[in-house]
Amino acid sequence: MTQAADRAFVRMEGVGHCYNPDGGPMAVQQIDLEIHRHEFVAVVGPSGCGKSTLLRMVSGLLIPSAGKVSVFEKQVTEPRDDVGIVFQKPTLLPWLSIRKNVLFPLKHKFGRYSAKDEKRADELLAMAGLAQFADHMPDELSGGMQQRAGIVRALLLNPDILLMDEPFSALDAMTREQMGFDLLRIWSENPKTVLFITHSISEAVLLADRVLVMSQRPGTVLDLIDIDIPRPRSEQTIQTPEFAELTARIRKHIYEPEAH
Amino acid sequence: MNPKPTNVLPPRLRAVLMRYASAIFFIALVGLWEVICRVGEVPNYILPSPSSIFKAFFDVEFSRWLSHLWATLRVALLGFVLSIVIAIPLAIAMVRSELMTRVIYPALVVVQATPVVAVAPLIIVLMGTGDVSRVLITCMITFFPLVVSTTTGMLETPEELVELSQSLRAPRYRETWQIRIPYAIPHIFSGLKVSITLAIIGAVVAEFVAAEEGLGYFIQFSTSFFKIPQAFAGLIFLAIISLLLFKSVTWIQTWLFPWSLPKKK
Repeated sequence: MTQAADRAFVRMEGVGHCYNPDGGPMAVQQIDLEIHRHEFVAVVGPSGCGKSTLLRMVSGLLIPSAGKVSVFEKQVTEPRDDVGIVFQKPTLLPWLSIRKNVLFPLKHKFGRYSAKDEKRADELLAMAGLAQFADHMPDELSGGMQQRAGIVRALLLNPDILLMDEPFSALDAMTREQMGFDLLRIWSENPKTVLFITHSISEAVLLADRVLVMSQRPGTVLDLIDIDIPRPRSEQTIQTPEFAELTARIRKHIYEPEAH
Repeated sequence: MNPKPTNVLPPRLRAVLMRYASAIFFIALVGLWEVICRVGEVPNYILPSPSSIFKAFFDVEFSRWLSHLWATLRVALLGFVLSIVIAIPLAIAMVRSELMTRVIYPALVVVQATPVVAVAPLIIVLMGTGDVSRVLITCMITFFPLVVSTTTGMLETPEELVELSQSLRAPRYRETWQIRIPYAIPHIFSGLKVSITLAIIGAVVAEFVAAEEGLGYFIQFSTSFFKIPQAFAGLIFLAIISLLLFKSVTWIQTWLFPWSLPKKK
Protein backbone atom coordinates (compact mmCIF):
# COMPACT_ATOMS: atom_id res chain seq x y z
CA MET A 1 0.00 0.00 0.00
CA THR A 2 1.22 3.48 -0.81
CA GLN A 3 1.44 6.05 1.91
CA ALA A 4 -1.44 8.09 0.47
CA ALA A 5 -3.74 5.09 0.47
CA ASP A 6 -2.76 4.35 4.02
CA ARG A 7 -3.87 7.74 5.28
CA ALA A 8 -7.45 8.32 6.23
CA PHE A 9 -9.45 9.54 3.26
CA VAL A 10 -12.48 10.78 5.15
CA ARG A 11 -11.86 11.86 8.71
CA MET A 12 -14.38 12.96 11.32
CA GLU A 13 -13.12 14.40 14.55
CA GLY A 14 -15.50 15.02 17.46
CA VAL A 15 -18.27 15.75 15.01
CA GLY A 16 -21.67 16.73 16.33
CA HIS A 17 -24.64 18.55 14.91
CA CYS A 18 -27.62 20.36 16.25
CA TYR A 19 -30.26 21.43 13.72
CA ASN A 20 -31.47 24.27 15.88
CA PRO A 21 -28.83 27.04 15.79
CA ASP A 22 -30.06 28.39 19.16
CA GLY A 23 -29.22 25.15 20.94
CA GLY A 24 -31.39 22.18 21.77
CA PRO A 25 -31.00 18.45 21.31
CA MET A 26 -28.09 17.18 19.25
CA ALA A 27 -28.85 15.00 16.21
CA VAL A 28 -25.42 13.38 16.37
CA GLN A 29 -22.53 13.92 18.78
CA GLN A 30 -18.92 12.98 19.35
CA ILE A 31 -18.40 11.05 16.15
CA ASP A 32 -14.83 10.00 15.45
CA LEU A 33 -14.34 8.04 12.29
CA GLU A 34 -11.67 7.42 9.71
CA ILE A 35 -12.49 5.92 6.35
CA HIS A 36 -9.69 4.73 4.09
CA ARG A 37 -9.54 5.22 0.38
CA HIS A 38 -11.73 2.73 -1.50
CA GLU A 39 -13.08 1.34 1.71
CA PHE A 40 -16.72 0.33 1.99
CA VAL A 41 -18.20 1.48 5.29
CA ALA A 42 -21.79 0.73 6.21
CA VAL A 43 -23.66 2.64 8.91
CA VAL A 44 -26.46 0.95 10.84
CA GLY A 45 -28.55 2.25 13.70
CA PRO A 46 -32.12 2.81 14.85
CA SER A 47 -34.37 5.23 12.93
CA GLY A 48 -33.66 8.86 13.62
CA CYS A 49 -30.17 8.26 14.98
CA GLY A 50 -28.64 10.70 12.54
CA LYS A 51 -27.32 8.31 9.89
CA SER A 52 -28.41 10.63 7.09
CA THR A 53 -26.99 13.61 8.97
CA LEU A 54 -23.61 11.88 8.87
CA LEU A 55 -23.87 11.38 5.13
CA ARG A 56 -24.85 14.99 4.49
CA MET A 57 -21.85 16.15 6.48
CA VAL A 58 -19.44 14.19 4.29
CA SER A 59 -21.08 15.62 1.15
CA GLY A 60 -20.76 19.14 2.51
CA LEU A 61 -24.51 19.72 2.16
CA LEU A 62 -24.48 20.14 5.93
CA ILE A 63 -21.69 21.75 7.93
CA PRO A 64 -21.49 20.25 11.45
CA SER A 65 -22.00 22.61 14.36
CA ALA A 66 -19.25 20.87 16.32
CA GLY A 67 -16.02 19.14 15.32
CA LYS A 68 -14.48 18.81 11.91
CA VAL A 69 -15.03 16.72 8.79
CA SER A 70 -12.17 16.52 6.34
CA VAL A 71 -11.67 14.73 3.08
CA PHE A 72 -8.08 13.98 2.16
CA GLU A 73 -6.75 16.31 4.86
CA LYS A 74 -8.91 19.20 3.64
CA GLN A 75 -11.76 20.43 5.82
CA VAL A 76 -15.23 20.25 4.26
CA THR A 77 -16.77 23.72 4.33
CA GLU A 78 -19.11 23.71 1.32
CA PRO A 79 -20.86 21.16 -0.93
CA ARG A 80 -18.30 18.93 -2.62
CA ASP A 81 -18.71 18.08 -6.27
CA ASP A 82 -16.46 15.00 -6.05
CA VAL A 83 -19.11 12.95 -4.28
CA GLY A 84 -21.84 10.92 -5.91
CA ILE A 85 -25.07 10.59 -3.96
CA VAL A 86 -27.59 7.79 -4.27
CA PHE A 87 -30.87 8.46 -2.51
CA GLN A 88 -33.47 6.21 -0.95
CA LYS A 89 -35.74 6.77 -3.95
CA PRO A 90 -34.22 6.75 -7.46
CA THR A 91 -35.42 10.37 -8.01
CA LEU A 92 -34.90 10.17 -11.76
CA LEU A 93 -36.36 13.04 -13.78
CA PRO A 94 -39.55 11.71 -15.37
CA TRP A 95 -39.18 13.84 -18.52
CA LEU A 96 -35.74 12.50 -19.47
CA SER A 97 -34.75 9.14 -20.93
CA ILE A 98 -32.55 6.89 -18.81
CA ARG A 99 -29.44 7.95 -20.77
CA LYS A 100 -30.27 11.64 -20.34
CA ASN A 101 -30.97 11.06 -16.65
CA VAL A 102 -27.53 9.52 -16.26
CA LEU A 103 -25.99 12.48 -18.11
CA PHE A 104 -28.04 14.95 -16.07
CA PRO A 105 -25.24 15.83 -13.59
CA LEU A 106 -23.10 17.09 -16.52
CA LYS A 107 -25.99 18.90 -18.15
CA HIS A 108 -26.86 20.44 -14.80
CA LYS A 109 -23.36 21.43 -13.76
CA PHE A 110 -21.94 22.60 -17.09
CA GLY A 111 -25.02 23.02 -19.29
CA ARG A 112 -23.78 20.50 -21.88
CA TYR A 113 -22.09 17.16 -22.47
CA SER A 114 -19.99 15.69 -25.27
CA ALA A 115 -20.31 12.57 -27.40
CA LYS A 116 -17.52 11.12 -25.26
CA ASP A 117 -19.66 11.63 -22.17
CA GLU A 118 -22.55 9.89 -23.88
CA LYS A 119 -20.26 6.95 -24.62
CA ARG A 120 -19.23 6.80 -20.97
CA ALA A 121 -22.89 6.91 -19.89
CA ASP A 122 -23.64 4.02 -22.22
CA GLU A 123 -20.69 2.02 -20.87
CA LEU A 124 -21.83 2.59 -17.29
CA LEU A 125 -25.39 1.63 -18.21
CA ALA A 126 -24.11 -1.55 -19.86
CA MET A 127 -22.16 -2.38 -16.70
CA ALA A 128 -25.34 -1.98 -14.68
CA GLY A 129 -27.20 -4.22 -17.13
CA LEU A 130 -29.31 -1.38 -18.47
CA ALA A 131 -27.86 -1.09 -21.99
CA GLN A 132 -31.12 -1.87 -23.78
CA PHE A 133 -33.07 0.55 -21.57
CA ALA A 134 -30.98 3.66 -22.31
CA ASP A 135 -33.70 5.22 -24.46
CA HIS A 136 -36.59 4.21 -22.21
CA MET A 137 -38.36 6.62 -19.90
CA PRO A 138 -37.93 6.05 -16.14
CA ASP A 139 -41.54 4.97 -15.56
CA GLU A 140 -41.04 2.09 -18.01
CA LEU A 141 -38.45 0.51 -15.68
CA SER A 142 -38.95 -1.50 -12.50
CA GLY A 143 -38.00 -0.01 -9.14
CA GLY A 144 -34.74 -1.99 -9.03
CA MET A 145 -33.73 -0.90 -12.53
CA GLN A 146 -34.56 2.73 -11.71
CA GLN A 147 -32.34 2.55 -8.65
CA ARG A 148 -29.51 1.04 -10.71
CA ALA A 149 -29.89 4.00 -13.09
CA GLY A 150 -29.66 6.23 -10.00
CA ILE A 151 -26.38 4.55 -9.03
CA VAL A 152 -25.04 4.97 -12.58
CA ARG A 153 -25.98 8.67 -12.44
CA ALA A 154 -23.95 9.01 -9.23
CA LEU A 155 -20.94 7.33 -10.91
CA LEU A 156 -20.99 9.52 -14.04
CA LEU A 157 -18.67 12.24 -12.76
CA ASN A 158 -16.35 9.51 -11.47
CA PRO A 159 -16.51 10.74 -7.87
CA ASP A 160 -13.97 9.66 -5.25
CA ILE A 161 -16.71 9.13 -2.72
CA LEU A 162 -20.03 7.40 -3.16
CA LEU A 163 -22.64 8.27 -0.55
CA MET A 164 -25.63 5.94 -0.40
CA ASP A 165 -28.60 6.81 1.78
CA GLU A 166 -30.60 3.60 2.30
CA PRO A 167 -30.52 3.04 -1.46
CA PHE A 168 -32.29 -0.32 -1.48
CA SER A 169 -34.87 0.21 1.24
CA ALA A 170 -37.71 0.90 -1.21
CA LEU A 171 -37.14 -2.43 -3.01
CA ASP A 172 -38.60 -5.85 -2.32
CA ALA A 173 -36.42 -8.36 -0.45
CA MET A 174 -35.33 -10.43 -3.46
CA THR A 175 -34.49 -7.44 -5.67
CA ARG A 176 -32.71 -5.94 -2.72
CA GLU A 177 -30.31 -8.86 -2.28
CA GLN A 178 -29.56 -8.95 -6.01
CA MET A 179 -28.92 -5.18 -5.99
CA GLY A 180 -26.42 -5.69 -3.16
CA PHE A 181 -24.39 -8.15 -5.24
CA ASP A 182 -24.70 -5.88 -8.29
CA LEU A 183 -23.36 -3.00 -6.23
CA LEU A 184 -20.39 -5.08 -5.04
CA ARG A 185 -19.57 -5.98 -8.63
CA ILE A 186 -19.84 -2.35 -9.80
CA TRP A 187 -17.74 -1.24 -6.83
CA SER A 188 -15.01 -3.82 -7.56
CA GLU A 189 -14.85 -2.57 -11.17
CA ASN A 190 -14.89 1.12 -10.15
CA PRO A 191 -13.31 1.27 -6.70
CA LYS A 192 -14.72 4.13 -4.63
CA THR A 193 -14.81 5.14 -1.02
CA VAL A 194 -18.33 4.18 -0.05
CA LEU A 195 -20.42 5.35 2.88
CA PHE A 196 -23.50 3.17 2.84
CA ILE A 197 -26.42 3.88 5.15
CA THR A 198 -28.85 1.07 5.81
CA HIS A 199 -31.19 -0.22 8.45
CA SER A 200 -30.58 -3.81 7.41
CA ILE A 201 -27.91 -5.44 9.55
CA SER A 202 -27.36 -8.37 7.19
CA GLU A 203 -27.05 -6.03 4.22
CA ALA A 204 -24.40 -4.05 6.08
CA VAL A 205 -22.38 -7.18 6.96
CA LEU A 206 -22.73 -8.61 3.48
CA LEU A 207 -21.47 -5.50 1.69
CA ALA A 208 -19.07 -3.62 3.94
CA ASP A 209 -15.44 -3.74 5.01
CA ARG A 210 -16.44 -2.14 8.27
CA VAL A 211 -19.78 -1.51 9.94
CA LEU A 212 -20.39 1.54 12.09
CA VAL A 213 -23.10 0.92 14.67
CA MET A 214 -24.84 4.05 15.90
CA SER A 215 -26.82 4.61 19.09
CA GLN A 216 -30.25 6.14 19.60
CA ARG A 217 -30.55 9.88 19.15
CA PRO A 218 -28.31 11.76 19.81
CA GLY A 219 -26.43 9.39 17.55
CA THR A 220 -22.94 8.42 18.52
CA VAL A 221 -20.61 5.54 17.66
CA LEU A 222 -21.43 2.38 19.63
CA ASP A 223 -19.04 0.12 17.79
CA LEU A 224 -16.97 -0.07 14.65
CA ILE A 225 -16.73 -3.65 13.49
CA ASP A 226 -14.27 -5.08 10.98
CA ILE A 227 -15.94 -7.49 8.61
CA ASP A 228 -13.20 -10.02 7.84
CA ILE A 229 -15.25 -12.06 5.42
CA PRO A 230 -13.21 -12.57 2.23
CA ARG A 231 -14.36 -11.13 -1.08
CA PRO A 232 -15.92 -11.75 -3.53
CA ARG A 233 -18.96 -12.39 -1.41
CA SER A 234 -22.03 -14.23 -2.62
CA GLU A 235 -25.21 -15.95 -1.47
CA GLN A 236 -22.99 -18.55 0.27
CA THR A 237 -21.50 -15.82 2.48
CA ILE A 238 -24.83 -15.52 4.25
CA GLN A 239 -24.63 -19.13 5.41
CA THR A 240 -21.15 -18.91 6.94
CA PRO A 241 -20.72 -18.91 10.74
CA GLU A 242 -18.70 -15.65 10.58
CA PHE A 243 -21.68 -13.93 8.97
CA ALA A 244 -24.03 -15.20 11.66
CA GLU A 245 -21.64 -14.20 14.41
CA LEU A 246 -21.12 -10.67 13.08
CA THR A 247 -24.81 -9.97 12.53
CA ALA A 248 -25.56 -11.27 16.03
CA ARG A 249 -22.93 -8.95 17.48
CA ILE A 250 -24.47 -5.93 15.77
CA ARG A 251 -27.99 -6.96 16.65
CA LYS A 252 -26.97 -7.13 20.29
CA HIS A 253 -25.79 -3.50 20.13
CA ILE A 254 -29.06 -2.36 18.68
CA TYR A 255 -31.38 -4.27 20.99
CA GLU A 256 -29.38 -4.13 24.24
CA PRO A 257 -27.39 -0.92 24.04
CA GLU A 258 -26.98 -0.89 27.85
CA ALA A 259 -25.11 -4.20 27.82
CA HIS A 260 -21.97 -2.44 26.57
CA MET B 1 -67.69 -18.42 -4.93
CA ASN B 2 -67.91 -15.56 -7.36
CA PRO B 3 -70.65 -13.05 -6.77
CA LYS B 4 -73.36 -13.28 -9.41
CA PRO B 5 -73.19 -10.49 -12.01
CA THR B 6 -76.04 -8.05 -11.47
CA ASN B 7 -76.10 -6.78 -15.07
CA VAL B 8 -79.45 -7.27 -16.74
CA LEU B 9 -78.20 -5.84 -20.04
CA PRO B 10 -76.17 -7.92 -22.46
CA PRO B 11 -72.49 -6.95 -22.21
CA ARG B 12 -72.31 -5.50 -25.76
CA LEU B 13 -75.23 -3.13 -25.20
CA ARG B 14 -73.85 -2.23 -21.79
CA ALA B 15 -70.50 -1.32 -23.32
CA VAL B 16 -72.18 0.90 -25.93
CA LEU B 17 -74.24 2.60 -23.22
CA MET B 18 -71.16 3.24 -21.10
CA ARG B 19 -69.29 4.66 -24.08
CA TYR B 20 -72.01 7.11 -25.08
CA ALA B 21 -73.62 7.67 -21.67
CA SER B 22 -72.97 11.42 -21.54
CA ALA B 23 -74.06 11.99 -25.16
CA ILE B 24 -77.28 10.04 -24.62
CA PHE B 25 -77.99 11.97 -21.43
CA PHE B 26 -77.34 15.28 -23.20
CA ILE B 27 -79.62 14.45 -26.15
CA ALA B 28 -82.35 13.32 -23.75
CA LEU B 29 -82.06 16.58 -21.84
CA VAL B 30 -82.36 18.70 -24.99
CA GLY B 31 -85.31 16.56 -26.11
CA LEU B 32 -87.04 17.07 -22.76
CA TRP B 33 -86.45 20.83 -23.03
CA GLU B 34 -88.01 20.88 -26.52
CA VAL B 35 -91.02 18.88 -25.31
CA ILE B 36 -91.59 21.14 -22.30
CA CYS B 37 -91.48 24.26 -24.50
CA ARG B 38 -93.92 22.83 -27.04
CA VAL B 39 -96.36 21.10 -24.71
CA GLY B 40 -96.33 23.92 -22.15
CA GLU B 41 -96.44 26.57 -24.90
CA VAL B 42 -93.67 28.48 -23.12
CA PRO B 43 -93.24 31.86 -24.84
CA ASN B 44 -89.97 32.31 -26.74
CA TYR B 45 -88.96 35.39 -24.74
CA ILE B 46 -89.04 33.40 -21.48
CA LEU B 47 -87.49 30.10 -22.46
CA PRO B 48 -86.84 29.54 -26.16
CA SER B 49 -86.99 25.94 -27.38
CA PRO B 50 -83.79 24.29 -28.67
CA SER B 51 -85.19 24.34 -32.20
CA SER B 52 -85.80 28.09 -32.10
CA ILE B 53 -82.29 28.67 -30.72
CA PHE B 54 -80.94 26.56 -33.56
CA LYS B 55 -82.92 28.61 -36.05
CA ALA B 56 -81.78 31.89 -34.44
CA PHE B 57 -78.17 30.80 -34.81
CA PHE B 58 -78.53 30.59 -38.58
CA ASP B 59 -80.56 33.80 -38.79
CA VAL B 60 -77.45 35.71 -37.78
CA GLU B 61 -74.97 36.11 -40.63
CA PHE B 62 -71.90 33.93 -40.30
CA SER B 63 -69.52 36.87 -40.80
CA ARG B 64 -71.17 38.62 -37.85
CA TRP B 65 -70.59 35.55 -35.70
CA LEU B 66 -66.97 35.50 -36.79
CA SER B 67 -66.34 39.15 -35.97
CA HIS B 68 -67.95 38.78 -32.52
CA LEU B 69 -66.00 35.58 -31.93
CA TRP B 70 -62.72 37.20 -32.95
CA ALA B 71 -63.33 40.17 -30.62
CA THR B 72 -63.90 37.89 -27.62
CA LEU B 73 -61.21 35.37 -28.48
CA ARG B 74 -58.63 38.11 -29.06
CA VAL B 75 -59.21 39.61 -25.61
CA ALA B 76 -59.43 36.23 -23.85
CA LEU B 77 -56.24 34.86 -25.40
CA LEU B 78 -54.24 38.09 -24.96
CA GLY B 79 -55.31 38.24 -21.32
CA PHE B 80 -54.46 34.56 -20.88
CA VAL B 81 -50.99 34.92 -22.43
CA LEU B 82 -50.33 38.07 -20.44
CA SER B 83 -51.24 36.28 -17.23
CA ILE B 84 -48.81 33.44 -18.07
CA VAL B 85 -46.08 35.99 -18.73
CA ILE B 86 -46.77 37.63 -15.35
CA ALA B 87 -47.54 34.55 -13.25
CA ILE B 88 -44.54 32.32 -14.01
CA PRO B 89 -41.82 34.88 -13.18
CA LEU B 90 -43.77 35.85 -10.05
CA ALA B 91 -43.91 32.20 -8.98
CA ILE B 92 -40.18 31.74 -9.64
CA ALA B 93 -39.41 34.87 -7.63
CA MET B 94 -41.53 33.66 -4.72
CA VAL B 95 -39.98 30.18 -4.71
CA ARG B 96 -36.45 31.55 -4.82
CA SER B 97 -36.76 34.24 -2.22
CA GLU B 98 -38.66 34.38 1.04
CA LEU B 99 -38.48 38.16 0.96
CA MET B 100 -40.26 38.20 -2.40
CA THR B 101 -42.95 35.92 -0.99
CA ARG B 102 -43.46 38.29 1.93
CA VAL B 103 -43.68 41.28 -0.41
CA ILE B 104 -45.72 39.84 -3.28
CA TYR B 105 -48.06 37.29 -1.75
CA PRO B 106 -50.25 39.65 0.33
CA ALA B 107 -50.62 41.93 -2.69
CA LEU B 108 -51.69 38.96 -4.84
CA VAL B 109 -54.28 37.93 -2.27
CA VAL B 110 -55.69 41.46 -2.18
CA VAL B 111 -56.00 41.53 -5.98
CA GLN B 112 -57.62 38.10 -5.98
CA ALA B 113 -60.02 38.99 -3.15
CA THR B 114 -61.27 42.08 -4.98
CA PRO B 115 -64.26 41.18 -7.17
CA VAL B 116 -63.15 41.84 -10.73
CA VAL B 117 -66.71 42.61 -11.80
CA ALA B 118 -66.71 45.54 -9.38
CA VAL B 119 -63.32 46.82 -10.48
CA ALA B 120 -64.01 46.47 -14.21
CA PRO B 121 -65.87 49.80 -14.63
CA LEU B 122 -63.04 51.59 -12.80
CA ILE B 123 -60.46 50.03 -15.10
CA ILE B 124 -62.49 51.20 -18.11
CA VAL B 125 -62.54 54.73 -16.69
CA LEU B 126 -58.80 54.55 -16.05
CA MET B 127 -57.64 52.86 -19.24
CA GLY B 128 -60.33 53.73 -21.77
CA THR B 129 -62.78 51.53 -23.66
CA GLY B 130 -60.21 49.81 -25.89
CA ASP B 131 -58.80 46.30 -25.91
CA VAL B 132 -56.20 47.26 -23.29
CA SER B 133 -58.82 47.57 -20.54
CA ARG B 134 -60.53 44.34 -21.50
CA VAL B 135 -57.22 42.43 -21.64
CA LEU B 136 -56.30 43.82 -18.23
CA ILE B 137 -59.64 42.77 -16.73
CA THR B 138 -59.18 39.28 -18.19
CA CYS B 139 -55.64 39.08 -16.88
CA MET B 140 -56.75 40.06 -13.36
CA ILE B 141 -59.14 37.15 -13.24
CA THR B 142 -56.80 34.53 -14.78
CA PHE B 143 -53.37 35.03 -13.27
CA PHE B 144 -53.96 34.02 -9.66
CA PRO B 145 -54.64 30.29 -10.22
CA LEU B 146 -51.50 30.23 -12.38
CA VAL B 147 -49.28 31.78 -9.72
CA VAL B 148 -50.61 29.39 -7.09
CA SER B 149 -50.29 26.25 -9.23
CA THR B 150 -46.79 27.13 -10.48
CA THR B 151 -45.57 27.91 -6.97
CA THR B 152 -47.08 24.71 -5.56
CA GLY B 153 -45.52 22.62 -8.33
CA MET B 154 -42.08 24.15 -7.90
CA LEU B 155 -42.20 23.59 -4.15
CA GLU B 156 -43.17 19.96 -4.60
CA THR B 157 -39.84 19.15 -6.25
CA PRO B 158 -38.28 16.23 -4.31
CA GLU B 159 -35.78 17.51 -1.76
CA GLU B 160 -33.22 14.96 -3.03
CA LEU B 161 -33.06 16.63 -6.43
CA VAL B 162 -32.48 20.00 -4.83
CA GLU B 163 -29.65 18.40 -2.83
CA LEU B 164 -28.29 16.83 -6.00
CA SER B 165 -28.25 20.27 -7.58
CA GLN B 166 -26.49 21.76 -4.54
CA SER B 167 -23.93 18.97 -4.38
CA LEU B 168 -23.12 19.55 -8.05
CA ARG B 169 -22.72 23.24 -7.25
CA ALA B 170 -24.76 24.06 -10.32
CA PRO B 171 -25.85 27.64 -10.97
CA ARG B 172 -29.12 28.49 -9.29
CA TYR B 173 -30.96 29.28 -12.54
CA ARG B 174 -30.38 25.70 -13.71
CA GLU B 175 -32.01 24.39 -10.55
CA THR B 176 -35.02 26.49 -11.52
CA TRP B 177 -35.10 25.64 -15.24
CA GLN B 178 -33.85 22.05 -15.29
CA ILE B 179 -35.51 20.76 -12.13
CA ARG B 180 -38.18 22.94 -10.52
CA ILE B 181 -40.05 24.27 -13.57
CA PRO B 182 -40.32 20.86 -15.32
CA TYR B 183 -41.48 19.36 -12.01
CA ALA B 184 -44.17 22.03 -11.88
CA ILE B 185 -45.46 21.24 -15.41
CA PRO B 186 -48.40 19.04 -14.30
CA HIS B 187 -49.41 21.70 -11.78
CA ILE B 188 -48.94 24.52 -14.28
CA PHE B 189 -51.27 22.76 -16.71
CA SER B 190 -53.93 22.30 -14.01
CA GLY B 191 -53.66 26.05 -13.49
CA LEU B 192 -53.85 26.72 -17.24
CA LYS B 193 -57.05 24.65 -17.51
CA VAL B 194 -58.68 26.76 -14.80
CA SER B 195 -57.32 30.00 -16.27
CA ILE B 196 -58.41 29.43 -19.86
CA THR B 197 -62.08 29.16 -18.87
CA LEU B 198 -61.67 32.14 -16.55
CA ALA B 199 -60.21 34.07 -19.51
CA ILE B 200 -63.50 33.73 -21.40
CA ILE B 201 -65.38 34.86 -18.29
CA GLY B 202 -63.03 37.84 -17.97
CA ALA B 203 -63.49 38.85 -21.60
CA VAL B 204 -67.29 38.60 -21.31
CA VAL B 205 -67.35 40.61 -18.08
CA ALA B 206 -65.28 43.29 -19.78
CA GLU B 207 -67.66 43.32 -22.76
CA PHE B 208 -70.66 43.70 -20.44
CA VAL B 209 -69.05 46.85 -19.07
CA ALA B 210 -67.86 48.46 -22.29
CA ALA B 211 -67.73 47.06 -25.81
CA GLU B 212 -69.29 47.35 -29.25
CA GLU B 213 -68.32 43.88 -30.34
CA GLY B 214 -67.86 40.40 -28.96
CA LEU B 215 -70.00 37.48 -27.89
CA GLY B 216 -70.62 38.91 -24.42
CA TYR B 217 -71.72 42.19 -25.97
CA PHE B 218 -73.88 40.23 -28.46
CA ILE B 219 -75.69 38.38 -25.67
CA GLN B 220 -76.33 41.57 -23.72
CA PHE B 221 -77.47 43.42 -26.82
CA SER B 222 -79.81 40.58 -27.91
CA THR B 223 -81.32 40.33 -24.43
CA SER B 224 -82.04 44.04 -24.29
CA PHE B 225 -83.99 43.75 -27.54
CA PHE B 226 -85.85 40.66 -26.24
CA LYS B 227 -84.21 38.52 -28.92
CA ILE B 228 -83.92 35.72 -26.38
CA PRO B 229 -83.36 32.80 -28.81
CA GLN B 230 -80.52 34.82 -30.34
CA ALA B 231 -79.04 35.47 -26.88
CA PHE B 232 -79.20 31.75 -26.14
CA ALA B 233 -77.49 31.00 -29.45
CA GLY B 234 -74.70 33.38 -28.46
CA LEU B 235 -74.43 31.77 -25.06
CA ILE B 236 -74.17 28.27 -26.49
CA PHE B 237 -71.60 29.41 -29.03
CA LEU B 238 -69.58 30.93 -26.18
CA ALA B 239 -69.80 27.73 -24.14
CA ILE B 240 -68.58 25.66 -27.10
CA ILE B 241 -65.62 28.01 -27.65
CA SER B 242 -64.77 27.84 -23.96
CA LEU B 243 -64.93 24.04 -24.09
CA LEU B 244 -62.69 23.91 -27.17
CA LEU B 245 -60.13 26.16 -25.53
CA PHE B 246 -60.15 23.96 -22.44
CA LYS B 247 -59.61 20.89 -24.60
CA SER B 248 -56.78 22.58 -26.50
CA VAL B 249 -54.88 23.07 -23.25
CA THR B 250 -55.10 19.30 -22.69
CA TRP B 251 -54.04 18.65 -26.29
CA ILE B 252 -51.03 20.93 -25.92
CA GLN B 253 -50.04 19.12 -22.73
CA THR B 254 -50.37 15.71 -24.41
CA TRP B 255 -48.40 16.93 -27.41
CA LEU B 256 -45.54 18.74 -25.64
CA PHE B 257 -45.33 17.01 -22.25
CA PRO B 258 -46.71 13.48 -22.55
CA TRP B 259 -44.75 12.39 -19.46
CA SER B 260 -46.64 14.89 -17.32
CA LEU B 261 -50.02 13.22 -17.78
CA PRO B 262 -51.41 11.03 -14.99
CA LYS B 263 -50.36 7.41 -15.49
CA LYS B 264 -53.01 5.08 -16.88
CA LYS B 265 -53.21 1.85 -14.91
